[in-house]
Amino acid sequence: MARPHIEPFVDRDVAFRKFTMPGFPKGMQYKMLSLDPDSGACSMTVMYEPGYRQPPGMSYTEYELFIMTGSITVGDKVYGPGSYFMVPAGITIGALSSPRGATGLMFYNYGEPSFVESDSDHPRAERGKFAAVNAYDDMQWQSTNFFPATAPGCLVKVLHFDERTQAFTFLYCMTPNFWQDNISYHDCAEEAYHIWGTSWMMQFGDLPTGGYFYRPPYINHGAFGCKLGTLALGRTDSRLYNHFHFNPWTNVEENKERAASRVQHWMPDLYKWINTHGHNHPVDFDFDHGHAHGDMAHHHGDGQVEHTHRKKRRRRK
Amino acid sequence: MKAIPHKRSREVEAWLKREIAEQKTRYRKIVAEQDALAPKRDKWVADFLQRIQTRGTHVHFNMMRKVRPEEIPVRPKRKFRVVF
Repeated sequence: MARPHIEPFVDRDVAFRKFTMPGFPKGMQYKMLSLDPDSGACSMTVMYEPGYRQPPGMSYTEYELFIMTGSITVGDKVYGPGSYFMVPAGITIGALSSPRGATGLMFYNYGEPSFVESDSDHPRAERGKFAAVNAYDDMQWQSTNFFPATAPGCLVKVLHFDERTQAFTFLYCMTPNFWQDNISYHDCAEEAYHIWGTSWMMQFGDLPTGGYFYRPPYINHGAFGCKLGTLALGRTDSRLYNHFHFNPWTNVEENKERAASRVQHWMPDLYKWINTHGHNHPVDFDFDHGHAHGDMAHHHGDGQVEHTHRKKRRRRK
Repeated sequence: MKAIPHKRSREVEAWLKREIAEQKTRYRKIVAEQDALAPKRDKWVADFLQRIQTRGTHVHFNMMRKVRPEEIPVRPKRKFRVVF
């Protein structure tokens, strides 16, 4: 089970609550934006109370943190608004404090929030994938490079790109008087939080400052408009392709079928291969083979595409 | 390595259970609010279908094309859902 369709949700309509997850120090508050009922992966608005202190430690799951207001100190470095962290599972970050408090967005991508006090990385951690950048000061706006592209006036800063899934996290803005007159859907899930500003969508109406959505794949959104400009943080869980059209009434199944038909016409050889191989378990030579690690869904010609194997264990001789 | 296997404590399971229940309530509230928006949405859709015939629909970036009247879709009889 994946996350439900949460759209729209305005977090300013609800109060912060104390974050009482075991392991986390006192002094952190949160508002839940969306949650995967199975994995516990979630997106939250968080507030570090003035004086918050957290010892060095790690999380069992990859997480991302974006500072919206105030500042945090990690080690001896101060991170203010616009600071973004991509912290892979098991990576230890230094002592974190917030003398004057801060608010931010936190995304636990593959499991529930966790914090384990530690001075060193977990043996399986991938330190090279840690990233920290100030999205406001260190990066410049650029046009989206999707084809087909969003209308002029929607600009992005890509903060993180996953080379395997092509999921990405990005800051985006809509210029004043931005408009786009089409309807879009994607093959990926998409979520976004309005840091500042109000935008409008034909299905859902206005999304103001503090507005959020988590939108599963193939759900129509648009036309779009924005009178005064918007600054937002967006994320996808895999590759984003803009399936544009102008039929307001199509549903998820129809959109999905259209997307599949497009794959059939755009990549006919691949489409045929996928549909004729009995053991549908494609292997990417750049990455681990799923069977060896038991984490890749596939089927054995029976259409049960969510099927996986457990990791094989060698018997001791 | 996206996540490191670990065992959830009972406290964590209880926290998740509460959050899942609250999310279900939140979802139902959103559906009700969006159902109430239907009359406004119908007007927005009518305006949109008019605009794409006169000013055009976006095809790619700043490329637009005008939609011919015979291309305008017909509303199906089923309920118009926007939250799935």
